[in-house]
Amino acid sequence: MAQVAQPDYDKPDDSGEVRVKVICLGDSAVGKSKLVERFLMDGYKPQQLSTFALTLFNHKTEIDGQKVSVDFWDTAGQERFNNMHPSYYHQAHACILAFDTTRKITYKNMPNWLKELREYRPEIPCLCAANKIDVDPSVTKKSFNFAKKHNMPFYFVSASDGTNVVKLFRDAIKAAVKYKSNPTDIMDEIMQELENFELETGKDKAGGDTEDKDQAAAADENDKASS
Amino acid sequence: MTTSTLQLLKCGVRFDPPALVITYKDWKANKLRRRTMPLRNFNKNSNIESTIKDLKENPRHNRFVQLLSMAQFHRLLSIIKDKLSGLSLEASIARNNDMDTVRADEDLNKVDSETLVRKKLQMDSTFEKNKKQPGDPDFQYNVEVDFEDVVGKVESSGWDSGEDSDPDF
Repeated sequence: MAQVAQPDYDKPDDSGEVRVKVICLGDSAVGKSKLVERFLMDGYKPQQLSTFALTLFNHKTEIDGQKVSVDFWDTAGQERFNNMHPSYYHQAHACILAFDTTRKITYKNMPNWLKELREYRPEIPCLCAANKIDVDPSVTKKSFNFAKKHNMPFYFVSASDGTNVVKLFRDAIKAAVKYKSNPTDIMDEIMQELENFELETGKDKAGGDTEDKDQAAAADENDKASS
Repeated sequence: MTTSTLQLLKCGVRFDPPALVITYKDWKANKLRRRTMPLRNFNKNSNIESTIKDLKENPRHNRFVQLLSMAQFHRLLSIIKDKLSGLSLEASIARNNDMDTVRADEDLNKVDSETLVRKKLQMDSTFEKNKKQPGDPDFQYNVEVDFEDVVGKVESSGWDSGEDSDPDF
């Protein structure tokens, strides 16, 4: 697996692409990796982040004529240690929160995942996926109120037979792009202002890279502190 | 996987010295056969995954070991390991039955990694059974089904009630 450094999603890019980060959350064995794998199919080429035990998958697409480069982040089993590393949430633009329709406990743990997500990312769009509907299709006749209660779009999906997987991911990408162009998290607004400020004032400054890093680190701290 | 003329009928283990034993039908020769595959250097600390990998890459055994499912493979090797660690056969079988059972109320975030691997393998078999992939006659990349048009979900999942249900935060 290729080892890469953590990308900076706030850094303006000269490729004309919008860079977004979509994270997957949910209990062990609900099928997070299998969902990403089903969406990407042949393009499923994991990259391991060098610093943290996390896996990400890059995907290029186009939304309404706009080129988009998406990184899907997968937990790489880190959910077993109860808390995800803050870097997992850092700069995320959308979240897919999944449970397993064959195992009630994974549904009962959804509030814990949403709570942790909201500590780091109070406003990003979060989509709810009810996976493994192929095991017992009658589950789709039943109501699950968690998503409605928290105002999240809800999808019955199967990573195995493919039902609604592409729709779920395309909607997640759209939501991420929309969020990035019009962020409502206060930290994102501040980040954007800082970025604009820097563009105006720091035009002839060299070595912008290190500054970006400092900003990202500061944002991490503030993200946590503000919640 | 290449199509095999061999059909697995039974699989088991030998403890001393450790070996996998299978009984299979060779349809080409129309004969019932048994094959014993010694596990050299296998001990109570051996890594099950790498042992499986070695056997699958072994040219003398690979066409036979591919008859075993990953779940069976893990189970057999785990029983031998338990024996080498001094566990009784009864206790080992109970432990392995437990690892091979998926329970709707068991929190898999909290189990040890061996148990998680085993339960995932059980789920994988369902996944593979229902899997549609490129090459299948009815495969489509984008499968959209609108379940919302069912007028008023009459049935509750029953998963939203109870003292452990979603608290506000």
